[in-house]
Amino acid sequence: MDVLKLLAGIALAALVHFVGVQLWPVLFPQAVDVLLVVVVLHALRGNSLSALFVGLFVGLIQDELTSKTFGLFGFADTIVGYVTARLAQRLVIQRPTGVLAVVSFASALQQAITVGLMFMLLSSPELPSPLWVAVKAGTCGLLGLVIYIAAGNWRRSSEARRRGRMNRLRMD
Amino acid sequence: MDERRTAWVLIVVLIGQLVFLAIQGGRAGETRAEKVGLRLLGPLARSVAAVPRSFSGARQDMKLRGTLMDENRRLQREVATLRLQLLHLTDVEGEMLRLGEAVRYGTPPAGRIRAVDVIYIDYASWLRTLVLYTGDLPARVNQPVLSPDGLVGRVITVSGPYSKVQLITDRAASVGGMILRTRRQGVVRGGGRGSGGLELDYVPLQADVREGDRVLTAGIDGVYPRGIPVGTVVAVEGGGQLFHRVQLAPAVDFGALDQVYLLDYEAIPPKLKEASPGGRP
Repeated sequence: MDVLKLLAGIALAALVHFVGVQLWPVLFPQAVDVLLVVVVLHALRGNSLSALFVGLFVGLIQDELTSKTFGLFGFADTIVGYVTARLAQRLVIQRPTGVLAVVSFASALQQAITVGLMFMLLSSPELPSPLWVAVKAGTCGLLGLVIYIAAGNWRRSSEARRRGRMNRLRMD
Repeated sequence: MDERRTAWVLIVVLIGQLVFLAIQGGRAGETRAEKVGLRLLGPLARSVAAVPRSFSGARQDMKLRGTLMDENRRLQREVATLRLQLLHLTDVEGEMLRLGEAVRYGTPPAGRIRAVDVIYIDYASWLRTLVLYTGDLPARVNQPVLSPDGLVGRVITVSGPYSKVQLITDRAASVGGMILRTRRQGVVRGGGRGSGGLELDYVPLQADVREGDRVLTAGIDGVYPRGIPVGTVVAVEGGGQLFHRVQLAPAVDFGALDQVYLLDYEAIPPKLKEASPGGRP
């Protein structure tokens, strides 16, 4: 069931990415990375093995949407997934702002790894502009925060509904 | 699984990926995994791209209904003018052919074009990608991609009806270019750092280059035929000791692409490709 939810989340993120690129072609691809947010939010559960494989899978999807060497994002997201999961094991995130910081860090880390790999593989690599790197990290953090709060609210309300149903059943 | 084992799994996975990346050596578009992924993601991208297209199509239909008569008259005038131009050009072509025959010069074949849909384009970020839906007739790797304004790029991955294109603005792309006014040749590359522009390299300092000069494909790279507009010179600087630093604005507005053309063109004839250096003719 969890795997299905995760796959649905990844498919939804890919859909949001495509729609975003259609609607805001200049802003979306360089300012938002919905797929990375999915990887980080999954990794925040703390299962490092699952996080690294989800990172690899999602990274390969991102590679599909670039004309650069296939596997750059797969490599970067594998590390991001693992590092985030290890962070989540050590940190206790009590406030949603913690999620903002972790997702922003993960986005910056992913971009740094990608650039490092480009330097290793290509003689004259093309680099992202530092401004857009910062903007992307910030936007990803905000998006992660919004999804985290929305998911928390949804979980609480569905829990309350379930409890209400159980109470009614007991009374009957 | 305990964390130590997971760390080993991570190391193995990362080493595997590094080996995979090293084997590719910076090239794109030649792996089976990439082709499978393109086949899976293509339909999603295509359905998303179809929605705004159908909306804008319906809006255009509504607008057109109002101005159909005017449009028809305008098009009729345009057809008449184009017919006259065609007559003139046919005459010029005949003359060119006769002259060519006289000096035994065969013009290179221009190739046929075929319109295909753009289903995903990222032209603004440094990742720069274009994905095409080519229908029943798949594209071919290295096939030139054009728009009515000029050169867009070349196909790098083909997976069934979906093809990935490397834009000419990509830092890793290079095109043999030629300044139209002086016929001086150079190499056109992507400008880098998300500039979206182009650079014309290897133009010697003594060469005459001016702002506003038009640059076309030179037909020397074995991928693109000669004469396709690439861009216009926007800045010329001294650069290094030997060469100018020439910056170009692309001829194509990448933000306005929703349909492009695949050019059926082979720079080197198949017979020549098959021929071995020591073989008999």
